Amino acid sequence: MILNPMDLTNKKILVVGATSETGETITNQLLNLGAEVVMLDDNEERLITIADKCHNPRLNFNCIDIYNNQEIESGMKQIAASFGAFDGMVFCAGKGGVRPLQLTKNNFLHDMMNANLYSFIEVVRCLTKKGSFNNGGSIVVISSVSSIKGLKSKVSYSASKAALDASVRGMAAELSEKKIRVNSILKGWVTSDMKLDFIQDNMELNKNEDFARQLLGVIEPIEIANTVGFLLSDATKTITGISLLHDGGYSL
Amino acid sequence: MQQLISFKEKVILITGASAGIGQQTAILLSNLGAKVLLLATNEDKLIETLGLLNGTGHHYFCYDLSNLEEIERKVKEIVNQGGKIDGFVNCVGIRSRRPLTLLSIKEVRHVMDINFGSYIELIRCITKKGNFNSGLSIVGVSSIAAQAGGPGVTAYAASKAAVDAAVRCLSKELAPKNIRLNTVVPSQINTPEYAKLLQMNGGVDNVLNRQYLGLGEAEDVANAIAFLLSPASKFITGISLPVDGGYLSS
Repeated sequence: MILNPMDLTNKKILVVGATSETGETITNQLLNLGAEVVMLDDNEERLITIADKCHNPRLNFNCIDIYNNQEIESGMKQIAASFGAFDGMVFCAGKGGVRPLQLTKNNFLHDMMNANLYSFIEVVRCLTKKGSFNNGGSIVVISSVSSIKGLKSKVSYSASKAALDASVRGMAAELSEKKIRVNSILKGWVTSDMKLDFIQDNMELNKNEDFARQLLGVIEPIEIANTVGFLLSDATKTITGISLLHDGGYSL
Repeated sequence: MQQLISFKEKVILITGASAGIGQQTAILLSNLGAKVLLLATNEDKLIETLGLLNGTGHHYFCYDLSNLEEIERKVKEIVNQGGKIDGFVNCVGIRSRRPLTLLSIKEVRHVMDINFGSYIELIRCITKKGNFNSGLSIVGVSSIAAQAGGPGVTAYAASKAAVDAAVRCLSKELAPKNIRLNTVVPSQINTPEYAKLLQMNGGVDNVLNRQYLGLGEAEDVANAIAFLLSPASKFITGISLPVDGGYLSS
């Protein structure tokens, strides 16, 4: 028998922001690795479509708006009541945005921070309450190489991802008492990103200096899903507080 | 003899200027010839700091930076009174220590607004036409917490990491205007804030075990800030300079 070190059999994983292309790919791959998966998102229609497509008894979903801070605590309580304690959580929600400094006013900053940082902290805070998350569990959040590299007009996005990574280190130190691990993935350009408007804007702004830097080319969502699986699995049970670069050589 | 670092006739705005690193930076820059514009919330302490400065032409401004909406107006007032800005040092910041279970969104947002949001808004307003002189250098005070995690400092660490990341983007964006931006990254420094922290922890500080040059002084950080403000560092932009007694390398 071949032993799969990334085996997730009998692990219950919550995928937050599951209806994006990357979120859906992650969901599928976690199912392939044997996990029970609960998808969380605000887009009920897409959740139902994905669930129908997968047609897997190990897949469930719940609809809440995770950008609405008022909803998170009650939503997480309800999820814990319906599905029991989780062994893992992937946070792949979040927003992008390109704006020069003069248009980066506080409201815009706040929206970005809310989507990329506050929601994550609040989900983890509520999820790690007694009875909702098992000791020894693993939390993975999708960050970006923008966290460590600067680009024009990405001040708010970069700052939100850097803040996210710093919060990962703080939580990892604190939750180590419960053997809960927290890590992030610094992703480079992924094919699914390319369809987003803000990436198109970004390409215009930072012509010639950006895509050529990703030496191994554009990343497929399945590759990000594999890295997520790796960090969720017991293969990494002593890895915590890191920001794993998955950037095709962008940051070199 | 040519002086490596001089701020003769230069106008430098310092926020969080009434205590600790901000106050020490104000004193140092005034000794090096700068006209210093002090900004903080406590008027008594501002007047006290003003009394410690060398030379003339200094001003103080009482303002609470958690009021983000009025920063633009305040910057106009500062430039009207003090002149166009050659250097800006942001020393304002709150330390937040709170375990995750008590870390409400409200608290995270409060820390982010003061440590990060106000900094971006100040830079946005200062870099508007007519408010600064070419060669403007901006220095933010970050923290080793931005790079090293610790229990209970999630929001604080996030806010400082956000500052460092913003500086990497803005240094690129504002380079065409001949503006430089950098941060200093202090570890444990002997300030009133540190005294409070030590008291809370019953006199124990585990960070110092890794900070092998011992406890830093506000003057150590002020020296690094002065260097990054001055033309001596005119080829340095977008960096976060550790002033950490060896912490990050140990």
